[in-house]
Amino acid sequence: MLARQDIDYDALVKEDRVHLSLYTNPAVFADEMDKIFHRGWVYVGHQGEVPNVGDFRLKRIGLQPVIMVRDQHGAVQLLFNRCRHRGATLCQEGQGNTRSFRCMYHGWTYQLNGDLSGVPGEEAYGDGFKREELGLMKVPRVASYRGFIFGSLSPAGITLEEHLGRAAAELDLFVGLSNADDVEVVSGIHKYHYQGNWKLAAENSMDGYHAPIVHASFGQALMDKIKNNPSPEQQRAGRDLIGMGGVTKDLGNGHVMLDYKMRIYDSLNNDPMPTVRAVTPEGQEQLAELVRRFGEERAANMLREGGTHTFIFPNLILIGIQMRVLQPFSADRTEVCLYPTLLKWLAPEVNTIRLRSHEAFFGSASFGGPDDSEIFERVQAGCAVALEPWQLLSRGLHRERHEDGVIIGDFADEVTQRGIWRQWKKVMTQEAGATRTARKRSGNVMAGKGR
Amino acid sequence: MAFDRQQVEQFIYHEAQLMDEHCYDEWLALWSDDALYWVPSGRDEIDPAREISLIYDDRVRLQVRIARLKSGFAHAQEPKSRMRRVVSNLVIEEAEDGEITASSNFMLAELRRGKQDIFAGRTLHRLRPYHGGFQLVTKKVLLINNDEYIDNLTFLI
Repeated sequence: MLARQDIDYDALVKEDRVHLSLYTNPAVFADEMDKIFHRGWVYVGHQGEVPNVGDFRLKRIGLQPVIMVRDQHGAVQLLFNRCRHRGATLCQEGQGNTRSFRCMYHGWTYQLNGDLSGVPGEEAYGDGFKREELGLMKVPRVASYRGFIFGSLSPAGITLEEHLGRAAAELDLFVGLSNADDVEVVSGIHKYHYQGNWKLAAENSMDGYHAPIVHASFGQALMDKIKNNPSPEQQRAGRDLIGMGGVTKDLGNGHVMLDYKMRIYDSLNNDPMPTVRAVTPEGQEQLAELVRRFGEERAANMLREGGTHTFIFPNLILIGIQMRVLQPFSADRTEVCLYPTLLKWLAPEVNTIRLRSHEAFFGSASFGGPDDSEIFERVQAGCAVALEPWQLLSRGLHRERHEDGVIIGDFADEVTQRGIWRQWKKVMTQEAGATRTARKRSGNVMAGKGR
Repeated sequence: MAFDRQQVEQFIYHEAQLMDEHCYDEWLALWSDDALYWVPSGRDEIDPAREISLIYDDRVRLQVRIARLKSGFAHAQEPKSRMRRVVSNLVIEEAEDGEITASSNFMLAELRRGKQDIFAGRTLHRLRPYHGGFQLVTKKVLLINNDEYIDNLTFLI
């Protein structure tokens, strides 16, 4: 195996192909953790997961365990899950509500904001002991957009706004233009692993080419349903799905999307569909704005089954009504968590339909997601073939269009995969000391902009 | 109407065998039109109006589930899981409306592509007397690992 510094990423990532070792080599994985997950902006969670003081959820940034908690002042904190004394993890439950975090090794106790509040027999440490220096370590940079909370383990670097760039508009649509406080993330989590590299799920999530093949069973079952329930609404859904109209887009910074308008996930729900209506004045404004921009039918569909289909580099996927988080575990193992969302201003029956739409295609027993995971494992197994070890990503390369800095291709072109890899290569070949130098120069972590 | 314990047992064992052997059409034929096939996610007692399940199938979606499994393109079941399950600890009660509730434990060994998994839980069946036998009205499966990572639950549980 090559040492990390000897890996020539320029030779392994070409415009039209990538080398299979990037999915299998543990040294590449370790390098990705350092350069992508332990340095740049990484999605951690949404504030709607911890609505009340003391609510917490266990998360990870790269491989490092982090507690996302609503502190005693109502702010959301990202604290490393490790006692400052002898290093045990403090929090064992995946989620819950607590008044403080107490280490069960020697009883050191921390407030919700990470301050050290109790040390049994503190006087034994002598005069030099300072509690205020021994609070839980915090993620160096935390920023949020529409309640989506991102963290960076690097004290300096570009801002979250710069990182998100054009993709911020897709986060807006994902939450139906709702305020951060109106997004509810309390509907449970679908969780699964697959035996494959994390980038396989990233690439696949924005792949318009695979849908008619990997998801042939969904298409066929849906047609069967339409045949047995020939309502006009169902027939239109079927036509839309066959049409598969839409485009691929590379928004920059590794953020890519499938931009389409057809109804997919709620097509398994029964007619008549509930009327999409808002139950608060703010919601009525947001609904009116969506109708103004997209028309009544599309706006209703966006609220029933999801308003965007976007990958936020490196680990957040917005599909349907779910926030999907990729958690790399090793070069050939990945954990995936799906967090369905509700909107506080939507009528209850519409929120329920969102969940039924989600269950149709996503989760371990659904009609879509498990077939994708199966294919990821087949790709990972195929990576063992050493002859001609390349993945081809050239579909539609000759017909990419550039519009206002966005690269656009046909729905089944590999614009999106190329966009992810372009950013991957940029980050992986970045001068390792760049961030640290910038920090030393500025002397102020908040002032650190650009690299 | 007093129920016949042995008849209820036979129904439950028969259903288990149909699932083990992927007898999709026969399994589907057990269900009533107002069917609910429910596997909660996260914990046993959830509010389906506000929370997701692993499976929350009405009759129409059950039909879609079966049509998909039979399509030949349900890759997560190509090859199919090989399964045998044991059903036990059966408690049967008669509801006020003459329907039967049966709760039982199961343990399922599932083998696919060289990997063997164990699934376990408690199943709540609601049965409706029908033409001298029963129709399956609701089935709620409480998996002991419903809050854990579950990689592939595309077989019948």
